[in-house]
Amino acid sequence: MRPSRVALVHIALVLLSVLFVLPFLWMLTTAVKPIGETLTSPPRWIPSQVLWSNFPDAVFYGSKELGYVPFLVYARNTVIITLLCVVGSVASNTIVAYSFARLRWPGRDLFFAATLATMMVPFPVLMVPIYGMFKEFGWIGSFKPLWVPAWFGSAFAIFLLRQFFRTIPNDLSEAARIDGASEFRVFADIVLPLARPAVTVIALFTFMGTWNDFLGPLIFLTDQNTFTLSLGLQAYQTQHGGTPWNLLMAASLLVILPIVVVFFFAQKTFVHGIATSGFK
Amino acid sequence: MRPQSKLALLIVLILTVGAAVLGERVVSREASPGRVTVVYWEKWTGQEGEEMRKVVDAFNRSQDRIFVKYLSISGVDQKTILASGGGNPPDVAGIWQEQVFQFADLGALTDLTAMANAAGLTRDYYIPAYYDALSEGETLWALPSTPASIGLHVRPDLVPSEVATPETFPETIEELDALNDRISKQNADGSLVMAGFLPSNPGWWHWGWGPLFGADLFKGGNPTLNGPETVRAFEWIARYSKKFGPQAVQNFQSGFGNFASPQDPFMTGKVATEINGVWKANYIRVYQPDLKWFAVPMPYPKDRPDLKGHSLLSQDVLVIPRGAKRAKEAFEFIAFVQRQDVMEGLCSAHGKNSPLNEVSEAFFENHPNKAIRLFDQLARSPNAIYPSRSGFFPRVSGELANAFQEVNTGLKTPKQALDDAQARIDGLWKTYREQVARS
Amino acid sequence: MNSRHEARIGILFALPWILGFVLLLAYPLVFSLVTSFTNFSVLREPKWIGLSNYQELMSDGVFLTALQNTLLYTIGAVPLGTVLAIALAMLLNAKVKGMAVYRTLLFLPTLVPMVAQATLFLWVFNGDYGLLNAALRGIGFSPPNWLGDPAWAKWTLILIAAWGCGQAMLIYLAGLQDVPANLYEAADLDGAKLWHKTRHITLPMISPVILFNVIMAIIGSIQVFAVPQVMFPGGAPARSTYMFAMYLYDNAFLYQRMGYASAMGWVMFLIILALTLAALRLSERHVHYETQ
Repeated sequence: MRPSRVALVHIALVLLSVLFVLPFLWMLTTAVKPIGETLTSPPRWIPSQVLWSNFPDAVFYGSKELGYVPFLVYARNTVIITLLCVVGSVASNTIVAYSFARLRWPGRDLFFAATLATMMVPFPVLMVPIYGMFKEFGWIGSFKPLWVPAWFGSAFAIFLLRQFFRTIPNDLSEAARIDGASEFRVFADIVLPLARPAVTVIALFTFMGTWNDFLGPLIFLTDQNTFTLSLGLQAYQTQHGGTPWNLLMAASLLVILPIVVVFFFAQKTFVHGIATSGFK
Repeated sequence: MRPQSKLALLIVLILTVGAAVLGERVVSREASPGRVTVVYWEKWTGQEGEEMRKVVDAFNRSQDRIFVKYLSISGVDQKTILASGGGNPPDVAGIWQEQVFQFADLGALTDLTAMANAAGLTRDYYIPAYYDALSEGETLWALPSTPASIGLHVRPDLVPSEVATPETFPETIEELDALNDRISKQNADGSLVMAGFLPSNPGWWHWGWGPLFGADLFKGGNPTLNGPETVRAFEWIARYSKKFGPQAVQNFQSGFGNFASPQDPFMTGKVATEINGVWKANYIRVYQPDLKWFAVPMPYPKDRPDLKGHSLLSQDVLVIPRGAKRAKEAFEFIAFVQRQDVMEGLCSAHGKNSPLNEVSEAFFENHPNKAIRLFDQLARSPNAIYPSRSGFFPRVSGELANAFQEVNTGLKTPKQALDDAQARIDGLWKTYREQVARS
Repeated sequence: MNSRHEARIGILFALPWILGFVLLLAYPLVFSLVTSFTNFSVLREPKWIGLSNYQELMSDGVFLTALQNTLLYTIGAVPLGTVLAIALAMLLNAKVKGMAVYRTLLFLPTLVPMVAQATLFLWVFNGDYGLLNAALRGIGFSPPNWLGDPAWAKWTLILIAAWGCGQAMLIYLAGLQDVPANLYEAADLDGAKLWHKTRHITLPMISPVILFNVIMAIIGSIQVFAVPQVMFPGGAPARSTYMFAMYLYDNAFLYQRMGYASAMGWVMFLIILALTLAALRLSERHVHYETQ
């Protein structure tokens, strides 16, 4: 790129970054404010004093009453569920999407259409039968309703991966097949590495979706020590008592921090793609 | 496959199996062995939820037969509906008064009458309006956890000194209007510097305007939204919108943010008076402890002196869903919450008034809200107004909120908005009666 | 590979999803479809009422308002979000220093919890002292009331949706990695301009991803719920932001009319299906796949 264009790109990116980072900065500044300054009109950006102690206060919030540090228990539970979901989602969706994208079998296109159709029915009208079903399985109160379904694939991920798999030229896999590679080898050694950015996207979205999921844990969990972080964030909110906004924002920041870190590293795979597929 | 990839895969596999095994072990803790477990879901979270946990702990310590397993989680209404539909309800649920008759109309609650009477928890034990709001004829469906009444909160620093005390503040709507005309300030472009009073703020009781002008929303048992008193109330609202201009009041349009907004017009001085519940003092204590304020009853129309001292009441309540496995033990816990010392402790910690007829002097003395005696009186007023005892009430409330916004933004005239709301409610009322009619 | 062998492997590979579909999805879907023909409160046994729910929908003024709001929102949010997400992804695919940081910053809004977003937006869009209007007044406009004016609130929602396009942006970014670099090199030799390269190389090469994102955006927009629900409860002001999914949710859990809500859910299904088919039909000539 010409230097003038590089400069232009930088200017555009800096301006956009400022705009897009605003809500995050808003969280950050609220998180370190004294409580009284969370409520001013017009709102103030710079707190009169920076209270880093809000972060430990948020983590240990409620630990005296409960006898343990709820934030850490919720974090453990969230990590368990998220790990199971991400692994299950990547394992199941890649291979299913491969089948839809690159193998022919009777009824495939019809079934794919049905798969897409499942996303078009809104979730609230499915909640009652889903609850009833998991109750019959004896799963209410356990983590199973939250992670087992991930191992069977999701329409969103299958659709996305299928679109990516279909952009990979067929001659590569044909060559491998002629060399005697099994279909699984073709999938695992040729197609999957080429679709790494897309697989990363699925892993990342599953991670974010599970980490932040509120409705699932709300409906299916029945004990405080099985709660996840997103449920735990309610502990700072009250009906009529005055919410400690600073602690809520401090806790929220801690909750999303792992996602930011994971994202920062995951997006690096988005440059390898060109190197590996550049030989076309 | 490269050896590194194999190793990575192996690590992922081990972690996954480990997580699955660990996840299986993190399940509901068994309550106390040898005791009957009562499952209690409460919508309060945060500090309010923790205050209730103290009550639960005290109950569990007070005897050795029953163990109440407490879950503090928002969205209890939805969770309870799903669980009840699935035949798996909690034994006690903490919900809002408005929901009691929705559940009751569909036969989803346990009748508490006999158990309450046996425990001496009869109408005369309570402030009558709170008890009545939870019973239908002879049948009692719920008992209070903490109640509330509302009054007009005033900032003495923003009103003229001759009305800056509870004793001298306007008693009638007409006087309030005059005060508003006198002290409201607008910029040249029409935006508000300060309003004396704004009907749209905080916007939580739009169903209440008619009743505050003397309306009965269920006249003769049928929902009536366009009765003369309600039309009069909405004409009064329209005058405020007209005075300030729709553009100006839109900034204070009700309902922005489904949560207690940190941009509170009363505390930031955008309004000098605000209709709000007994809990307003909690917010002030948390966010602006130095703020000067006092409270008075909501003014009444001059030609309706019979309405003097009126107030809107609301309650957080405890119910036993039908199909609860431990109804009898669940009621023992509810009865424990009704004990005067327990109830006063809880209400005081929540910054609310007590629902009980008898109130100790210590409760008033030690209460964090300095105006607590007023809110207690308001609850006892014969003019106290509570949400209609019908599962249809949320619809009425929703349509009135919509009509309010139509009037406040200048989309419709009061008569038009209320007639439209009535027409819609008539159709829904018919469907509702078919829905709840037993087949 | 012969076709019977391929079919066997194909079904074997798809087996997790086939099982998941049959075991976890089929029953809820059928249940909700059947429920849509009943009077069902969740708390009581459903009672068959035939097509009554669907008939009632056709004459339900609030339903029609919510439907209209939602379609308007979709017409605004889908194109705006698509163009913005592609533009941002292309910018984030440039080879300049510090890209990891830019990418993370531009993705951040997607991570900020709803409540934090809402408090901020209520301030940004406040008609009185909001940031946006302060800026607009600064350059001589007389700005509208973004939140309180029934004529404007919908547009505010569309703007907010555009600002949360991070997920689509990320998918486009992943898609851009698969565009072979040599195509650009060849175009550069021909002296092609940026717009020309975008029009004739980038967009055709990522067309399957565009199709994916547009279909997901249609589904997401017709089902939009969380942002309006938190920022404009009950569709305030005067139902101008009351969306299809909000009315559906209120019927299901606030008014205990799950049967009616289910009927609404299946009408929603048909609307999304029709829009998706339209998108597929329009895209037929433009989407470029390597395999069939």
